[in-house]
Amino acid sequence: MITLTGLTKRYGGRTAVDDLTFSVADGRVTGFVGPNGAGKSTTMRMMIGLTRPDLGEVRFDGVSYADLRHPARLVGSVLDPRSMHPGHTARNHLRAMAALSDIPVDRVDTVLAEVGLEAVENQRTGGFSLGMRQRLALAGALLGDPRILLLDEPSNGLDPDGIRWLRNYLTGFADDGGSVFVSSHLIGELAMFADDLVVVGRGRLLAAETVDAITARRGATVVAETPQPAELARALAGPSTSVESHGDRLVILGSSKAAVSQLAFEHGIRLVELSEVAPSLEDTLLDLTGASAEFVSA
Amino acid sequence: MNTTAPTIPWTTPQRSAVRTTSEDVRSVRAALASEWIKLSSLRATKVILTLTALVGAIVAGGLAATADDPTLTASELFIYPLPLVAMLASVTGILMFTAEAQHGTLAVILSSRPARWVIVTAKTITAATVGLALGITGMVAGFAGASIGGVELGSGSHLASRGLWALLYIVLAALVGLGVGMIVRHTAAAITGLLMWSLVIESLLAPMLPEGVRHTLPFSAGYRLLDAGPNFEPPVLIAHQLARPQYALVFAGYALASIVAGTVLLYRRDSN
Repeated sequence: MITLTGLTKRYGGRTAVDDLTFSVADGRVTGFVGPNGAGKSTTMRMMIGLTRPDLGEVRFDGVSYADLRHPARLVGSVLDPRSMHPGHTARNHLRAMAALSDIPVDRVDTVLAEVGLEAVENQRTGGFSLGMRQRLALAGALLGDPRILLLDEPSNGLDPDGIRWLRNYLTGFADDGGSVFVSSHLIGELAMFADDLVVVGRGRLLAAETVDAITARRGATVVAETPQPAELARALAGPSTSVESHGDRLVILGSSKAAVSQLAFEHGIRLVELSEVAPSLEDTLLDLTGASAEFVSA
Repeated sequence: MNTTAPTIPWTTPQRSAVRTTSEDVRSVRAALASEWIKLSSLRATKVILTLTALVGAIVAGGLAATADDPTLTASELFIYPLPLVAMLASVTGILMFTAEAQHGTLAVILSSRPARWVIVTAKTITAATVGLALGITGMVAGFAGASIGGVELGSGSHLASRGLWALLYIVLAALVGLGVGMIVRHTAAAITGLLMWSLVIESLLAPMLPEGVRHTLPFSAGYRLLDAGPNFEPPVLIAHQLARPQYALVFAGYALASIVAGTVLLYRRDSN
């Protein structure tokens, strides 16, 4: 169990992380999402003591990370897959990590096999692709056989097979009672295996709920095609309904297929087509974080 | 990728045990083991060791082969390459920290051992050991080079004390390098800065300073640990000379100050 309480970090006049409070439950995969600059990486760095918070605290099973005798036995983390000396072989990189954390050296073989890098264990990491570095970094996180995994964009650079393996591994890890806290920009990917989501924007907590609860926030989208789009849009107008017009097609949020059908019938509006699209997590998150996005494409 | 099950049966208390100072002290050994693996498995370490042997042999051998003074012996000439060996030791000390910062592994080690002083202690001991290894290599190569260059081996009466002072100089140079690396954190900037300071700035600054102060500049003081040089200096400088242990204290003071400053910064700064 990870608990963050009032975590705050300021850089000069800018607040990177603002009073963040949430918890990550055991036996769950918790996704950590937010737009660029939302404070995700800063938060994760504060969680493992690499950045000092101005206020607040983080506890792992009730203990602050800095107080843990053997952090690697409880928390495995990958915040930057490039964190390895290019002159070291994969094996020596892991041997040095194992020695530092008092972990039996035979774990090196185990984790190399787990991430599928046995064949390149004696190659220098300078020649590794991003995907291979990602696997090696993950092997480093798994060295201590931890109960908690903290991963920042772990699927970056992985091939489809690697992404599927990662998804299965993290799900299995949580099923065995471990906690997984994983940040990702691949919302669709996250939706496939995360149980809970923590959503941040401009350093502030926007939501911390189950994936289902967050997805349900948006409600279904109704698409209606009619030769009288203006009349239907007028009939639908209301405080909880938004309507986007695309020629004869209207995209309606905040209503249902049955309600639109009923309204059209009452106003004598002919419908050519009426369909309901289930809400996507991506759309819901974009709605949630839209106002807090720091960098927006033109 | 496979899906091998985890294999270590840590108990819950073992996982979330709280560290104590005595356990931190014991963990220095683990940090040392890790430093040794990193250092011994890098090609750069072997290159620096080879370079040290070559510098020692070529400089001392060259001087021996071209010496006009028939009284010069190998037991004197082996000292002459050591300022260059000290520079290599400093560079190695710098790399021990800047490479970690530059490649992001500093974050990995600090998250593995939250007691940052443990990392500093392990790196300091390792840098001192590297200084010893480079010093011995440089001296042995220098002695061999001078002998091959054609001079007599010379008297062994002062050899041990001369060698030990020289070793201290090189060990302290490695520690100064480590301290500078911890402060600057950037390989090129740290190496350039240290070489500029020792080879250019200190030389330019020295004539402008009072004679008594001149000896307290770091590399001027360090150089005095070698049994070479002062015979060629003007009497006014010789008159202000300190005893060799005092020079050792001055140079050690710089090494200590740079490592302490680096440690304070390591605690205060966010890691890369």
